[in-house]
Amino acid sequence: MDPNKKRVDSLFPDEVLERVLSLITTHKDRSSISLVSKSWYNAERWSRRHVFIGNCYSVSPQIVAKRFPNIRSVTIKGKPRFSDFNLVPDDWGADVFPWLSVFATVYPFLEELRLKRMVVSDESLEFLATKFVGFRNLSLMSCDGFSTDGLKAVATHCKNLTELDIQENGIEDLGGHWLSCFPESLTSLEILNFASLNSEVSFDALEKLVSRCKSLRVLKVNRNISLDQLQKLLLHAPQLMELGTGTFMQELVSGPLTELKNAFSNCKNLLTLSGLWDATPLYLPVIYPACARLTFLNLSYATLRSVELANLLAHCKSLRRLWLLDTVGDKGLEAVGSCCPLLEELRVFPADPFDEEMNLGVTEVGFISVSRGCPKLHYTLYFCRQMTNSAVVAVAQNCPDFTHFRLCIMTPGQPDYITKEPMDEGFGAIVKTCTKIQRLAVSGLLTDRTFEYIGKYAKNLETLSVAFAGSSDLGMEYVLGCPKLRKLEIRDCPFGNAALLSGLMKYESMRSLWMSACNVTMNGCRVLAKQRPMLNVEVIKDEESDDSQAHKVYVYRTVAGPRRDAPPFVLTL
Amino acid sequence: MDANSKTMLKGDHDMLLAKVYDDDDGEIELGLGLSIGGCGGLRKSEEDLMPCCSSSSSSDSVKIPKSKIVGTKRRVVESVSPPNATSVVGWPPIRRGHRMPILANQIKSEQEELSKINNRHLSVKVNMEGTPIGRKVDLYAHTSYEMLAQTLENMFYGTHNALGSSRLLNGTSDFVLTYEDKDGDCMLVGDVPWQMFLGSVKRLRILRNTNMQH
Repeated sequence: MDPNKKRVDSLFPDEVLERVLSLITTHKDRSSISLVSKSWYNAERWSRRHVFIGNCYSVSPQIVAKRFPNIRSVTIKGKPRFSDFNLVPDDWGADVFPWLSVFATVYPFLEELRLKRMVVSDESLEFLATKFVGFRNLSLMSCDGFSTDGLKAVATHCKNLTELDIQENGIEDLGGHWLSCFPESLTSLEILNFASLNSEVSFDALEKLVSRCKSLRVLKVNRNISLDQLQKLLLHAPQLMELGTGTFMQELVSGPLTELKNAFSNCKNLLTLSGLWDATPLYLPVIYPACARLTFLNLSYATLRSVELANLLAHCKSLRRLWLLDTVGDKGLEAVGSCCPLLEELRVFPADPFDEEMNLGVTEVGFISVSRGCPKLHYTLYFCRQMTNSAVVAVAQNCPDFTHFRLCIMTPGQPDYITKEPMDEGFGAIVKTCTKIQRLAVSGLLTDRTFEYIGKYAKNLETLSVAFAGSSDLGMEYVLGCPKLRKLEIRDCPFGNAALLSGLMKYESMRSLWMSACNVTMNGCRVLAKQRPMLNVEVIKDEESDDSQAHKVYVYRTVAGPRRDAPPFVLTL
Repeated sequence: MDANSKTMLKGDHDMLLAKVYDDDDGEIELGLGLSIGGCGGLRKSEEDLMPCCSSSSSSDSVKIPKSKIVGTKRRVVESVSPPNATSVVGWPPIRRGHRMPILANQIKSEQEELSKINNRHLSVKVNMEGTPIGRKVDLYAHTSYEMLAQTLENMFYGTHNALGSSRLLNGTSDFVLTYEDKDGDCMLVGDVPWQMFLGSVKRLRILRNTNMQH
């Protein structure tokens, strides 16, 4: 042992190191820190307060508990992302309970739990609410397995609750009584989001809750809350920073609209606005006074036409993020381009994804308009029915800072509708011009050429989604060459065993790979599993498919070994 | 391919088209003879219509089987793609929160939605021996075997016998109408009551009548 080295270590006590490290918060930085030396590894693990688990099966609760003794906040993601689109059967797994039971022993002072795509039962919620006395923040996104009874338990028992954020879950809605379970003594709430719940809550209980929680900064109510009721809530909580309204249409408003408008005007801190169900030109103007300050406007539940949107956006100079329904059309997007020069994120959702007759939606024209007016655009999710290569090329040139480019041409395998060519050159332009691209979702008719471009140019690409694309195994082989690739999800592509196995050396550096309805066989998966014991190679069996085909394959690195809770239809090879 | 295609191109073409597009998912599906699949290489540019046959070896391209819907108790069943959509599971990739019928005035319970969808259509594939292109027919849009046979004769022959009983059913045609039932057995159409047939039919096949006595 070099005596000098020893001296340096003793000059810098662990406590100091830990204190310094406690200021480092991102898990990526902390990962790097832990690799410096043994003492840094230890200092890091003792000072870490928040752990992020991107794949609940990559590690076990016991391993986490052993390494990190002082955790206060946990984020866990479970099912593969394609479960959002019904591609993963129910009962696949990702139950949070095993984690909670370990945490109850090791982290009794746990304060925060953020779950995405996990299965959460009412029992788990009750366990959480009763075993962790200081529990404060609960966020459930795209989870399922629980009902409003579970929420009752949380509302009843979490004395210091500051956050209850329920988003897009497969929840069994048994009624709105859960909200009435918050005791009179609870005044700590800062975030309350129940926008995605259908049942009516007691407005009286809600009003009282809002008025006594003086630190409330995020309130997103569900559609049942009327405009009249909203007005009352705003009077109690002018300090709100994020607001999700209820329905924005009412037969008869009890007071003059000016009062509602004033209520909005008084919300000086309002930065985010969402909800706005059924919004019509009649009531929309009440939000105008608040628009100038807004940085995020979510209109994806409001079926606005282009004129309504244009009138609204004229007031929204500060917008950074905008979510829309495609009912606004290309004309609406033109207004976006003219009114929102600071725009960084645009998401356009289809109002009628399954029925083409209803509404053409937005096209390449709208896309170009936005890109021209919004050079700072770096995040887009765009659903359309027609697109051209030249439009995508233009968008890339107008907005070279793209980090997230998710383009969904809704008919699978559709070419450039003017030239009839594949969309290779469009996506090629994106990866060539936008060097910072980190997340990409491709669509339309694509040959291996698209993937060749991606493999060659997308040096920062971390997440790639591919569907109904490619011509041969080469396609997948190309993209496995992306140096920073972490998540690859593929469906309905002609990639077979050669493609799968070309990534043999790559998968351990990735979080996961999903392949469904491709040409991979059980044998191919077995070869992969045998060669790489640090990976879990799981095949989800489908009753109808042929036994030798691997219908759905999920490959991920893990230190926890094969799953012990796998249902019968998940085979770990 | 010759005689049949010629008859299809006759004046009955419009009626044929009407029959095809009247079905809510009047899809033309490429198939090799009797098998569902055979779409092989996924050259989407070659397919004009829905891509559901692309993943021919998988059931992703088939609507979610009823069993999967019934099994989900706690979980809100997000849209089973309505039959007039691309019948591809999970496509377009829209999450639960953005998939609700936005233009509806009220939020329906998932049971209501499902029963509505399930009762409206019973689309089964129909393949005719010797014809590569399979079709789909909505059985709920028919009330009897005769009606079904008329539709099929229109689809595959371009004509139908308006007067007498369908040749497909009475055994005088070169072809005979069969169906595959729940157990995978090949049965002759017409033997059981219509409602019972609806309950067990999985797909239809028009086979050459090798038993025909000349």
